[in-house]
Amino acid sequence: MDLQTSLQLSFAGMSAQGTRLRVIAENLANADSTAQTPGGEPYQRQVVTFKSVLDRSIGATSVKVAHIMPGGGTFQRKYDPGNPGADAEGYVLMPNVNPLTELMDMREAQRSYQANLDTITAAKSMISRTIDLLRG
Amino acid sequence: MDLGKIPLLEAITRRMSWLGERQSVLAQNVANADTPGYTAKDVKAPSFAELVSGASARLPMAVTEPGHIEPVHDDGGFKLVSQKTSERAPDGNAVQLEDQMMKISDTTNDYALTTSLYRQQLGLLKMALGGGSSSGG
Repeated sequence: MDLQTSLQLSFAGMSAQGTRLRVIAENLANADSTAQTPGGEPYQRQVVTFKSVLDRSIGATSVKVAHIMPGGGTFQRKYDPGNPGADAEGYVLMPNVNPLTELMDMREAQRSYQANLDTITAAKSMISRTIDLLRG
Repeated sequence: MDLGKIPLLEAITRRMSWLGERQSVLAQNVANADTPGYTAKDVKAPSFAELVSGASARLPMAVTEPGHIEPVHDDGGFKLVSQKTSERAPDGNAVQLEDQMMKISDTTNDYALTTSLYRQQLGLLKMALGGGSSSGG
């Protein structure tokens, strides 16, 4: 393992966190996406899970997105007879997206992304110190 | 002249590779800061006793047949240990970002110190050869 490995690991971490941010954005964008057919299911919030994988080319434990799967939570019922997704009683199921949860998750993803970025900065400064040795 | 044969420079080089290795392991921890079940790792610091007894010098595997596969990756003989942790997330993850960032900044500072030492040492050699200045580079 060397400093290049360090950079590659941080890039892997950043791309995993980037995927997480993308899924959060999808959730927030679809916070009001109801069903198109009467009594149908609305948009279901998605969550990202990570897993560590051994990257044999660099001999280190890298990270990647394991699954993007439906998250928990129940759909809220809202009275809206004019909606195409409303059932016989006029109720429509709303997506189980809670903006507060999504924003908290976004902060966490942002924080992890920042940490990876700072790690890259540290590794880069170490590499440039090494190159500076050549200046004698 | 082989610079690697000068004990001090050899020690400095070894220190630099240890710090590089540690930086990679810490980057690995940060990348896995949200991976369920992952425990932060660290590189075991080389101890003086080991250096004296020569236990840290490893023997490479011998290749006696052309068909033998040589080990692709050489970790430089550093040993990975799990970091002790005070808290663990419900998903089994035990990486504290603050802790890791502190260690990374420690590593970077140590690396800067070590490279400065190296330059200083080269400056001394140059001075002895009559070609350098006393500023150490």
